[in-house]
Amino acid sequence: MPHHERDYGDEASPTGQSLVTAIVHAVRFLGRNGWRIAAMVAICAASLHTIGCGTLLTTKPDPGERFDTPLPGLDNGELGDFQAGHTQFRKSFTIAEGLGPIFNNVSCASCHSGDGRGRPENILTRFSRGTDLAPDIGGPQLQDKAIPGAEPEHLPAGVDISYRMPPPVFGVGLIEAIPDSAILSHQDPADSDGDGISGRANMVTPAPYVPSTVPGGGPGLHVGRFGRKAQVSNLLQQTVEAYHQDIGMTSSYRPVENINPLASHAAVDPAADPELTDREIENVIQYMRMLAPPAPGAPTASRVRGEALFASARCAVCHLPSFHTGPHEIETLADRDVALYSDLLLHDMGDGLADNRPDGDADGHEWRTAPLWGLRVAREFLNGQLFLLHDGRAHSVDEAIRLHGGEAAGARDAFLAMPPEDQAALLDFVESR
Amino acid sequence: MRGRGLVLAAAAVLLLASWWTSGARAAVQGPKRDLFAPPPLATPYHGSLDGLAWGGDGALRFAEDRQAGVTNPEWFSVGRVNGFLLARLSPSIDVAGQGCWDRDSDDFTMERAEIGVRVLRSRQAHAGIFPVPLGRTNLSHDGPDYDFAERSLVATQLVGVPNAQLGIGARSLPGAGRRLLWEADLVTGYDDGLITESPGGTRLPSGRNNYGDKNGIPALAWRVALQGRSGSEVGLAAESGQYNQTVVGGVHVDSARWMHLVVADGNTAFHGFHLFSEAAYAIIDVPPGLRALFAEQQCGASVEVTRTLFDPLFRGWRGSCVTAGIRADAVDFDRSIQGDSRSRLSASVNLRSRPLAVTRFGWYYEVRRDRFNNATPLAGLTLTAATYF
Repeated sequence: MPHHERDYGDEASPTGQSLVTAIVHAVRFLGRNGWRIAAMVAICAASLHTIGCGTLLTTKPDPGERFDTPLPGLDNGELGDFQAGHTQFRKSFTIAEGLGPIFNNVSCASCHSGDGRGRPENILTRFSRGTDLAPDIGGPQLQDKAIPGAEPEHLPAGVDISYRMPPPVFGVGLIEAIPDSAILSHQDPADSDGDGISGRANMVTPAPYVPSTVPGGGPGLHVGRFGRKAQVSNLLQQTVEAYHQDIGMTSSYRPVENINPLASHAAVDPAADPELTDREIENVIQYMRMLAPPAPGAPTASRVRGEALFASARCAVCHLPSFHTGPHEIETLADRDVALYSDLLLHDMGDGLADNRPDGDADGHEWRTAPLWGLRVAREFLNGQLFLLHDGRAHSVDEAIRLHGGEAAGARDAFLAMPPEDQAALLDFVESR
Repeated sequence: MRGRGLVLAAAAVLLLASWWTSGARAAVQGPKRDLFAPPPLATPYHGSLDGLAWGGDGALRFAEDRQAGVTNPEWFSVGRVNGFLLARLSPSIDVAGQGCWDRDSDDFTMERAEIGVRVLRSRQAHAGIFPVPLGRTNLSHDGPDYDFAERSLVATQLVGVPNAQLGIGARSLPGAGRRLLWEADLVTGYDDGLITESPGGTRLPSGRNNYGDKNGIPALAWRVALQGRSGSEVGLAAESGQYNQTVVGGVHVDSARWMHLVVADGNTAFHGFHLFSEAAYAIIDVPPGLRALFAEQQCGASVEVTRTLFDPLFRGWRGSCVTAGIRADAVDFDRSIQGDSRSRLSASVNLRSRPLAVTRFGWYYEVRRDRFNNATPLAGLTLTAATYF
């Protein structure tokens, strides 16, 4: 019998001899297979070491460098809601689940890159006839995608058009927590101080399904604060309408499918309505509420000087550096400073940026001051590019400033009059937000 | 993009090398078990009795999976549970049944409910449900077959292994001296699930479970393979067919839309290394209302190299061996944009107890890109065990 096939267990011997024999054979076994055992142990050790090696098993990104990070200070229950909303925000809907019949995209995250801004291919086209939202011809938004059997919409002739880039969604909870009074205190609709900058709130009526228990909801006029023209006062309406108009998902708030009224035949998706539960809507709202804005860059000498120039050029009159929030059901949103760099008011931005399409109380020349937060890392989520202003036409902060007009013409001219090094410092400051 | 290009280039080189060496006498190393005989005849039986054979295979997966530094709490999963029954009714007639739950399909799949009749000496006519011949992995995908914890991205994301369809066809049977193998089938093909049930864009595996053939129009699936005398092989396969329904409830909803999936595979041996590669290209006619969001062209490739390190592992343990392998694979879900892709590098050290079982200790690092081309890293350390039973 070959040595390696011998069955050592069959050897009858006293216990002491068995132990010695076993040790002898173990030593022989180790001697014959030592390098193989050593190699296996080395492989196992290297693999176990890998568990503790962050580089080989991925590392967490710096929270301040992303758009999908929760605000600090949330409790465990809130973090659980955040995670549920995070999943829901990223969920791509299938036709079988209710996508369509007409729509723009398949999920929230497919328009908001990394929860930040969108790209031109995700731009939305709003249209109307003056203040008439034109539902009879497919208004107020063009849905250019359709499920099989349905017909996508085509832009009707003779309508007012406005292109809208998907805005960032982080920080909306902080915006929601800013008291109406704080926003209204910065209004100067008649330009009573004579500085050429007026600014007024877009007072809007929420959709009938928004109850008074929701911030910005209930009957009567409320301060609009969400959307490019501050045309929405609350996050429930913003979310429900985005699901309904952008993705074609019905909910108990909007239970009827959005269809192409000009289609030759009616077609709907196979899912029963409503396609979303109230809980799923609430998860997304809570998620967005708890999204933290990215951290601003470190205050270098250039940025400190840029901040002073930002103020001296009167940019900061509209791009108000800070608000203070009021009470909110989410404790971490309440009673804190918010470095928004926006007054959330409507301003006439001149003919060059006008879309000539009213939206709520906002006219065709007015836009809500865009918050400047998140610019520092925006390019990382847009393939190194930047798309600023409501239609993404500006590819840098410098270009966006040069396109300012109307009430912002003075600030623009002040910037243009600066020496290049001052312009660079101001841009460095803005792009570090 | 560069990584995907490298994988594609390497796959092309390997496929050519497989073709070149397909007539060579170099012995193929590695653990591949009787790779060229069609299952289930090749599958080790748990038992057999008077023309009846039965058995199965299973795989378990333990893992520390992380996504961007966050550990996935699911540390254990069943990779696959499979059972089969084969009845030889006469020397020329086989009936086979095979069902599985598979982690990749996340569903119970009837892999085989097939009757095969040998015609002439080397050909078999067959009908029923059987794995479509879309590449070597789909034809031979039992749990213990792999040298890696996961199947390649090409196999899971494009071919959709396990991919069995209802159909009828014929195949040549392997035998001495035969170098050219072929199979041609008319099958139910894919359905519009590849669009209607696909989250985030076109995903072919979502349309594969079309047992009822919703549009009543068969698809053509075929494969041609050239084998070397010592086991090298290069194969080319494709499936083409109309996937959608043009009339629903008596209403004309769309025109006929086709999908084509081409799969090339090759394996060979080179200085003790076993090389295997698979590449796939898909063309899908997407309805106009979904274009720009749903991909019309997809592709992917995988290249793996394995080598037997210790055979046997320890003297006195016959049948044991240790193999190690490394694999690069990538899939581009939408060729028209940057992004919507996955790229992965895997390494594995495997303890095999031939021919029945394998224990694999593996690591992978994957980068997933969304349609904005934002990257999300995933990585994991895996311990998987697979065995026939």
